[in-house]
Amino acid sequence: MPRFLKDFFNRNGTGMGLAILGLVLFWTIGLIILPQLSMLDFSFRPNLPPPEIGGPKDVYTLENYKYLIYGPEGGSQNYNAVDLRVFFRTLLAAVCVTIFNLIICYPIAYYLGQSKGNHIRIFAIMLIIPYWINEILRAFALRIIFGETGVLNTLFMGLGIWDTPFDFIRNDIALYAGLGYAYILLMIFPMYNVIESLDGNQIEAARDLGAPWWRIHWRVVIPYAKPGISSGCTMVFMLSAGALAAPQILGGPSSLWFTQLIYQQFNDNNDWPQGAAYAIVLLVTCILFVLAMMRLFKVNMGDIGK
Amino acid sequence: MNNSFLRISIWVYLAIFFLYLLGPLVIMSVTAFNSSAFPRMTPWECLTFQWFGELFQDQRILNGIKNSLIIGAGTVVLSVAMGLAGALMLTQIWPKLRATYYTVIIAPILIPGVVLGISTLVFWDRINRMLGLGADSFLSNGIFLTVIGQSTFIASYCMLVLVARLQRYDVALTEAALDLGATHAQAFRKILLPFMRPAIASAAVLAFLASFENYNTTTFTFGEYPTLTIELAQKVRYGITPSISALAFIIVALTVFFALLNEAKLKRQELVAAARKNATVEELAGKIKLPSFFSGNMAAVLVVVFAVATITVIGTATAYNPAQCIADVREQKQLEAQQRIEELRKQREEQRRLREEERKQRFEGVFEPGDLQPGSTEEEAEPDTGTNNSGFGNVFAPNTLGGDSDEGEAEPETPPASNGGFGGAFDPNSLQSDD
Amino acid sequence: MSAGVGVDLENLWIRFGDFVAVRDANVNINGGDFFSFLGPSGCGKTTILRAVSGFLDPSEGRVLIGGNDMQGIGPNKRPTALIFQNLALFPLMKVWENITFSLEIKGASAKERRKRADELLDMIALPGQGDKLPSELSGGQRQRVAIARALCAEPDVLLLDEPLSALDLKLRQHMRTELREIQQRVGITFIYITHDQGEALTMSDNIAVMRAGVIDQIADGKTIYNDPNTAFAASFVGENNVFRGKIKQVMGSEALIETNRSGDLVARISTANQGTMKVGDDAMMFIRPEALAIAPDGATGDHFVTARVNHEEFEGNVFNIFTEGEGGKEIKVSIPNHGQSFKDHTGQNITLEYETQNAVLVPAGELAAE
Repeated sequence: MPRFLKDFFNRNGTGMGLAILGLVLFWTIGLIILPQLSMLDFSFRPNLPPPEIGGPKDVYTLENYKYLIYGPEGGSQNYNAVDLRVFFRTLLAAVCVTIFNLIICYPIAYYLGQSKGNHIRIFAIMLIIPYWINEILRAFALRIIFGETGVLNTLFMGLGIWDTPFDFIRNDIALYAGLGYAYILLMIFPMYNVIESLDGNQIEAARDLGAPWWRIHWRVVIPYAKPGISSGCTMVFMLSAGALAAPQILGGPSSLWFTQLIYQQFNDNNDWPQGAAYAIVLLVTCILFVLAMMRLFKVNMGDIGK
Repeated sequence: MNNSFLRISIWVYLAIFFLYLLGPLVIMSVTAFNSSAFPRMTPWECLTFQWFGELFQDQRILNGIKNSLIIGAGTVVLSVAMGLAGALMLTQIWPKLRATYYTVIIAPILIPGVVLGISTLVFWDRINRMLGLGADSFLSNGIFLTVIGQSTFIASYCMLVLVARLQRYDVALTEAALDLGATHAQAFRKILLPFMRPAIASAAVLAFLASFENYNTTTFTFGEYPTLTIELAQKVRYGITPSISALAFIIVALTVFFALLNEAKLKRQELVAAARKNATVEELAGKIKLPSFFSGNMAAVLVVVFAVATITVIGTATAYNPAQCIADVREQKQLEAQQRIEELRKQREEQRRLREEERKQRFEGVFEPGDLQPGSTEEEAEPDTGTNNSGFGNVFAPNTLGGDSDEGEAEPETPPASNGGFGGAFDPNSLQSDD
Repeated sequence: MSAGVGVDLENLWIRFGDFVAVRDANVNINGGDFFSFLGPSGCGKTTILRAVSGFLDPSEGRVLIGGNDMQGIGPNKRPTALIFQNLALFPLMKVWENITFSLEIKGASAKERRKRADELLDMIALPGQGDKLPSELSGGQRQRVAIARALCAEPDVLLLDEPLSALDLKLRQHMRTELREIQQRVGITFIYITHDQGEALTMSDNIAVMRAGVIDQIADGKTIYNDPNTAFAASFVGENNVFRGKIKQVMGSEALIETNRSGDLVARISTANQGTMKVGDDAMMFIRPEALAIAPDGATGDHFVTARVNHEEFEGNVFNIFTEGEGGKEIKVSIPNHGQSFKDHTGQNITLEYETQNAVLVPAGELAAE
């Protein structure tokens, strides 16, 4: 038995050791690694009715990936313009949502992290409560607000700013507001954790040296908060790109989210391998994008999730 | 920079921020009490509780709640167990494996929920086939798949919560217990578990909430057992009614109540701890005098206020009867509608008169063939009314296409409870067409 | 004293990967002894303790308790109880529950446990404090609770891992006496780990001096102080002035050394090294500060050293003179205070003398880091 295992069982006892090891292996291998590998494998297979699975037709193929790029065979267009546009639009929109969230959350995280007193606890509760409300209901709430006769249109029309109802949903404003709304806490929390540990004296010192406020943030606070910022941005980006509920409820009729395409493949077209291939493309692209951003901004992987 | 200006702008920013954060929830909650068939705050019609009644008669919602509770319980047990095991492993794993292991167990948080749902579905389907089981086997059961799929990432959340506490655990405590004759299981149960209890409670609550509100993963795995979230999503996508607002109001109220209760409890523990520190031995042994639950405890006061308010509201709801108000509104709407129809008729009459006059004039001048079809001009003019504020116009407004365009099977829904007259028909969003 | 259970270490090796934490330790601890392992931090003494209590398996060799090989017997099955460096009191249990945890494991009733806890609380002079939480006690009280908890398990051997290191000086000195008293009262074997030579000397029947995984000397306190085996033992236990040099002449149990800087001096060869030290060997001579005295000016010979006084300080019980010998060698002299008058020598040259039996000669070796 390797020394690590021997020490492990000495420390935890045989029974407890087996329980811990069993649960960890079930989780990491049975729930995380194998399903992902299985999905990867599946994405390279043709869509066959159940009796033919494992039969002679069940061979590896790149068809499902080709479909995303070139569209159906014999299609009228050279490229699968519809799906590709949805794909890139999703990524771009997720980036925009992330930046939007970062900008509106940074001041809040800074304020909460650097001020003291009982009201901070109240603010924290107020921040957390919306996060405990069902994702669908949050989207529903925004739908009420952004609707044709919703609060915003009533308000602005009442004020005479515009006189015909503005279609927030068709213009995707509702969708972006909803995605931003959904992940505010995930952006604030990592930033808040880091900024809270920043010694206020450092800011004082910079102020004493005559630095203007924006320079203090640029040179002192932001570099210090970088792990929190990258953690928050990573989570918001991944979750926005992978969001399904908000686009389904708040998205305009003409604008699809890439996850909706995956959903269609699974639930409407019943083409699981195709859906799996799309899911793989989404997952891999998002991971590569996040890694590239981390390389660009010189962030360590270990900082994420802290 | 001017200091007071900075302070004011901070408060203004905070106000706007929290308005964005909490405003939608407040508005949604308020719409639950408006008798308007479409959930909205303005125009306010009548205070009503009928949406709550409708909610509690909705079998699909009730069934969804049942499924959510079953799945939530399963997910809590599985994810807290795996999260605890994962956290314990993280604190003692071989250093060279640590970084890899951490990446693996943290990854599910970042993997899109859709991907987790699909991979769970695909993997267990394959296992099911390999074992030669049928489509109705345990492994393809919606509850099993959903619990497994949700636990994959919820266990990561639990792990993070638990490891934070575990890092403050002194391994010497377990060793001390062993040294005093305890077995490993006894040391775990009597020493480590009590120490971890607060974190386990937080992890369990977090796991339950995450499970309860999960949509992305569940939507692929639920099978025959739609959860509340799935049912809600179906409803919201194919037509929204204030009974969803009513459910939202209940959830918001429960959340606020428990958040305040938790805060009050924390505050109380702080006060008790402070009191214990100052107390003498005799006080502790004998007549221990705890500070009153309320003194210096804002949250506790709020809890009580909240509870009283809830009771009042429920009391009012049972006694209150909005029928008169609803009837009034209906009458008024009918009047308005008639008025509008009247106006419209007058307008058309006017137009016709004008046109006829025009025609007469033209007839006197140059003859044009199109003018021989008087009706068509009138019909073409019709859509234009859509941009004015007249009642009929909105029916054709683009926003009525609220449904999901990609869903071919969207069932046209009629407003569940039209409050008479033209009220429902005037409502632009009540028509959920399927593009 | 009752014959308690003895502990024997036989050819004990403990390795962590390539690192050797304990190298071939052979120790016989008599039943009922107060035995200390004394050494600087990282010398492997805690490792030995963990091997005795069962948290570590030896890489080679055996641990015997009461003559029984402990191989494969877990910590919860050994007749030992360990008092941890940080005490490891269970923070969520009340004091009485802490003390009687071992009884709880055995399934004793709450009433029985409560009774035993009260007895032990009386013994450690904390009557009526059973319902407090450990966090509500002072450092010294916690210390005593930890002892009571260990004693409640009725061990044959009590192991103590630097339990006093977190206390302040006054309390530490008080607890030394108390620990020794408790040990004599209960009559079981105590194995005590410390880096504080004062603790080891005042409490122990026997002491093992450890350096980097090796046991240099096992003896009672007096022997270790007066007749060290090695340069390390001489320099680690108490203060010492060291003179390096080569042996010039061996005369029975005495030898003449040619020191590097202070001329030829005479010394007594330490007992363990008699017969093995030869002419020409590198050696170190140790003289305690209190063994030096000021000699009349101009005295010369093989037990006189001349030095210039750098500065002097009054410590109460002693008067310390810090001098610089020839070639810049530092020599400390402590003169006991009998109320005599002291002359200020700062800046002057003085001659120091010693008696041959107080100058101990050991083979040259590693010194304890200051």
